Amino acid sequence: MHIDRLEKKWAGISLGIAGLFVVVILASALFHGIHAPSNVETIDSARLHLSQEFAEDNLGPQRNPDGSVTVRMVAGRYGFYPKILTLPSDTHITFRWVSLDVIHGVHIPMTNMSTMIVPGYVAQVKTELHHIGDYPLLCNEYCGMGHAHMWTNIKVVNKTQWEALNNNGGANHG
Amino acid sequence: MNNLSEEERKKILESSPVGTWALMLIVGGGMVIAWLLMYYGVFLPRGHIG
Repeated sequence: MHIDRLEKKWAGISLGIAGLFVVVILASALFHGIHAPSNVETIDSARLHLSQEFAEDNLGPQRNPDGSVTVRMVAGRYGFYPKILTLPSDTHITFRWVSLDVIHGVHIPMTNMSTMIVPGYVAQVKTELHHIGDYPLLCNEYCGMGHAHMWTNIKVVNKTQWEALNNNGGANHG
Repeated sequence: MNNLSEEERKKILESSPVGTWALMLIVGGGMVIAWLLMYYGVFLPRGHIG
C-alpha cells in the first residue's frame, strides 16, 4: 500500500505527540506516586442499611487516627446520602461510595473526584481537596427520570475549622 | 496556475511544502503546549486521585 511521504510525516508527528503525553503521564505518576483507583470490593446493595459500614449512622466523613478522613456515601435514585457534607481542605480523603439501586456516577466539578458507582461494589477514590468553598456534587451517569435533579452540595473548609466542627459533631450532618 | 510554465509548475510541486510544515508545527506545538498547561496547571494541582 502506498502512503504518501507527507502523510507518513503527519502520522509520525501525531503518534509522537500521543507518545509524549503517555511519557509525561507515566513520569508524573512515578514521581508523584499516583495510582489509578483499583479497589475491588463487593457489597450487597439490597442490605446496605444492615451492613455495619454503610448503616445510616455511619455515613458521612469520619476522621481516622492518622489524621486522614474517610467519607462513606450512599447514592440512590435521586440523591446522595448524607445530603449535606462538610469536608476539610488539604487532607487525605478516602471516598467510599455505594449504590442502593442502579448505576450512578459522581463528579465534583473543579476537582478530580469522579467515579462510577456500580451496585454491588464499593467505589473507593482517594484524593485531596485544595480549594475552600462550596461545590456541587453531581450524578453524571444517567440513572432514571430524576437524574437531572440528582445533585447536592459539599462545603470544603480549612482543616482547623473542620476539626472544631467535627469535635462538636457538626461535620457529619447525617 | 494557468499562467505558470510547465517548468515552474514542476518546481512548485517538487519543492518542500513550507506552508504545510508551518501549519503542522503551529497546530502540533499549540496542542502540546495546551495539553501540558492543562495537565500541570489544572489537573495535577487539583489533587491527584488514587
